[in-house]
Amino acid sequence: MSWELIRDILIATVPLLVIFPSLFAFTTWVERKALARIQNRIGPNKTGVPCTRISLFGLGQPAADGIKMLFKEDIVPRGADRLFHLLAPIVALIPAMLVLCFLPLEFPWAKYIQVPVQAFLLDGAVIFFFAITGINTLAVFMAGWASRNKYSLLGGMRAIAQMVSYEIPLVLSAVIVVMLVGSLNAADIASAQEGYQWFVFTPWGLAAFVIFFIAALAETNRSPFDLPEAESELIAGYFTEYSGFKFALFFLGEYIAMFAISGLAVTLFLGAGEGPGVATVPALSAVWFLAKIFALISLMIWLRGTLPRLRVDQLMAFAWKFLLPLSILNILLAGLAWHLRGQGTVAQAATWAASLLILYFTARVLDGLSRPQARPRQYKYAE
Amino acid sequence: MSLLGGGIFKGMAVTLRNFVGSYFKKERLVTNDYAWQPEGDSELPQRASEYPKEQGEQLSDTTTVTNYSRNFPMLLHDGTEGSNPMDTIRCVACQICERECPPQCIYIEKMYDENGKYIKSPAKFDIDVSVCMSCQICVEVCPFDAIVMNSQFELSTPDRFDGLLLRRDDLLKSNNYYHQIHPEEAAARDQKIADEKAAKEAKKKAAAEAAKKKAAEKSKAEAEVKAKEAEGSAATESDGKQEAAE
Amino acid sequence: MNQETAFWILSVVAVLGALVAVRQRNLVHGVFALLLFFAALAGLFLLLMAEFIAAAQVLVYIGAVGILLLFAIMLTERVTGEGKRIFSRGWLGGALASFAVLGALLLPPLRATVLPAHAQPVDPSVRALGEQLMNPYVVTLEVLALLLTAALIGAVATAQGTAKRKGAAK
Repeated sequence: MSWELIRDILIATVPLLVIFPSLFAFTTWVERKALARIQNRIGPNKTGVPCTRISLFGLGQPAADGIKMLFKEDIVPRGADRLFHLLAPIVALIPAMLVLCFLPLEFPWAKYIQVPVQAFLLDGAVIFFFAITGINTLAVFMAGWASRNKYSLLGGMRAIAQMVSYEIPLVLSAVIVVMLVGSLNAADIASAQEGYQWFVFTPWGLAAFVIFFIAALAETNRSPFDLPEAESELIAGYFTEYSGFKFALFFLGEYIAMFAISGLAVTLFLGAGEGPGVATVPALSAVWFLAKIFALISLMIWLRGTLPRLRVDQLMAFAWKFLLPLSILNILLAGLAWHLRGQGTVAQAATWAASLLILYFTARVLDGLSRPQARPRQYKYAE
Repeated sequence: MSLLGGGIFKGMAVTLRNFVGSYFKKERLVTNDYAWQPEGDSELPQRASEYPKEQGEQLSDTTTVTNYSRNFPMLLHDGTEGSNPMDTIRCVACQICERECPPQCIYIEKMYDENGKYIKSPAKFDIDVSVCMSCQICVEVCPFDAIVMNSQFELSTPDRFDGLLLRRDDLLKSNNYYHQIHPEEAAARDQKIADEKAAKEAKKKAAAEAAKKKAAEKSKAEAEVKAKEAEGSAATESDGKQEAAE
Repeated sequence: MNQETAFWILSVVAVLGALVAVRQRNLVHGVFALLLFFAALAGLFLLLMAEFIAAAQVLVYIGAVGILLLFAIMLTERVTGEGKRIFSRGWLGGALASFAVLGALLLPPLRATVLPAHAQPVDPSVRALGEQLMNPYVVTLEVLALLLTAALIGAVATAQGTAKRKGAAK
């Protein structure tokens, strides 16, 4: 373990550990203010510079929340599994932060790394991403189980069922991009979209992006799929019994998972750091990457303020009966289009139009099929 | 043939409009930002009943309370602006609503006069709105249409025990106010009361007529019976005469 | 030096995890020890430069099989607290039989191999794996796919069957 290797690992990882949690703090502030404005209210606007009356639009609120959570008493229910109660937030946080390393974020200080850190130029970055995101389900189970609370357990079971069901459309829509690029390497995928040939501008790419985004909302338990952590359902679901800093760790883990999945969506579909001015100033690619992640996060916050929550059976039906067949059809169409790609512009235009129509009408048909048929209400006792 | 997911887009447009509009228009941001210290004249009401009474009981034009919204019950009286509500109160303190109320939030005491005779009026009618669940069962079971649902919602007080107990005088509202907030329901209720009254009158009239007819028939029947008896006795006498002749 | 230390650490963790998994009385602790074993195994795959297999190990075993085991444990009765310790009288015979099987499996290859073995260098990239799956082993791949489809349809049919029978009995 040479010192240069250690120094280079630190240069590569510590900025991520600094930037993303501060982005998390900023995002919680943005979310609270944006949701408040959507709901005809103001949001936090009193905390600002400590010990003064200067309230910088409530920007001190995340810091105040963090300090508050540090000082809260750590309550572990009697008879709960103490080891797993402690491990669950850690196992929720570590995969989320680990996965941030696989994103092709080129910070300007990357050129100071002399020893090539092979770990981050993984050949199979995309599949590692999905593998490590899958460990989140384990953390949820640990949290629900270790609380010794049957409602937490139920909430945890529902959360795991939701996450496992939505992993399949998530991976299948990423498979399209991998198929079209021919490599699992994130850097290859980023360079295949150069020249504004982003995958989101193709019909199958657009459908894949939509499916990926919806499945990402469900994976990170965001509205409208936030049944596991909604307050009107089982209090807080699997993290009911968590107080203080462990809850803060869960919260942090959820938001960093949101950043990570948005980062993957940007890499796969939105061109990964491409934008005007990158050719002249290479450092701008990191800025564009973060800007695109932030745009996706704003979309998530917007959806949270708009849509009501889905019921658990509606959620599962949506994953299995709508997203899954649509993503498989999408793979077929993308493969077909890839095979016909060298046949001239007329064939290409025809394939694009055909794919758009097929995808749209299949989606309509699937949507009609998976609606529950309206039956007259039957009462068991009231007849 | 609407766009797939079109409802979601419409919803997102609504929220976006609300978000952007909340920076420019006051009615899209109805929250009052309390200053660091309360100003002198913006004292909060101490009791839930101290909020503005009866001029529609709504604060501003953008408070959207529809004709179908309901919050907590109110007692009806048929009086006008200046009259004493207790003169025309419909409630007779039968205590049916008190008994049927599921969380038992109603407390009624009957009114008695000096001799201890029961007057058909409530002396006390308290509803604890921190307990009331707005189920409307009291409205359904009241035989006198005396209790209906109000839609006023600005009931916050600093005192969560006594401040949220609405007394009889706080609950009394006029029928005109009821027509203002729930026009269709109030009209239907008035119609029902009028119909019942008309039906009762008609029944009384019909009963009176039937009684008269019965009395007339009875006297006619008695007269006929008397006439028959007279004929019958005459007939038997003539029969007896004929037999004697043979 | 790095690879050897990593190998030793991962192997010790794997063996410990497996031992705890079979000896632990609390079922859930046992399953989590098993998942630790799977994770150590994924690390060993990474040491062998097989990235795809390591990722697949984490994805399939930890993310799917582990969750399946946990769900199955949820449906059993007594999971919390002290489990029953089952003491069998023929444990010596069982241990001897298992060692005999292990010896029968391992001795022939051990006697035939000459260490250190010079294996042919295999291209560890995902592309090479894909080409192997598509060209020589494509029939195997398709048969596996059919098997998985059959399992999936069977699972759906079993679930539907109980639902229909329950509905009919009502």
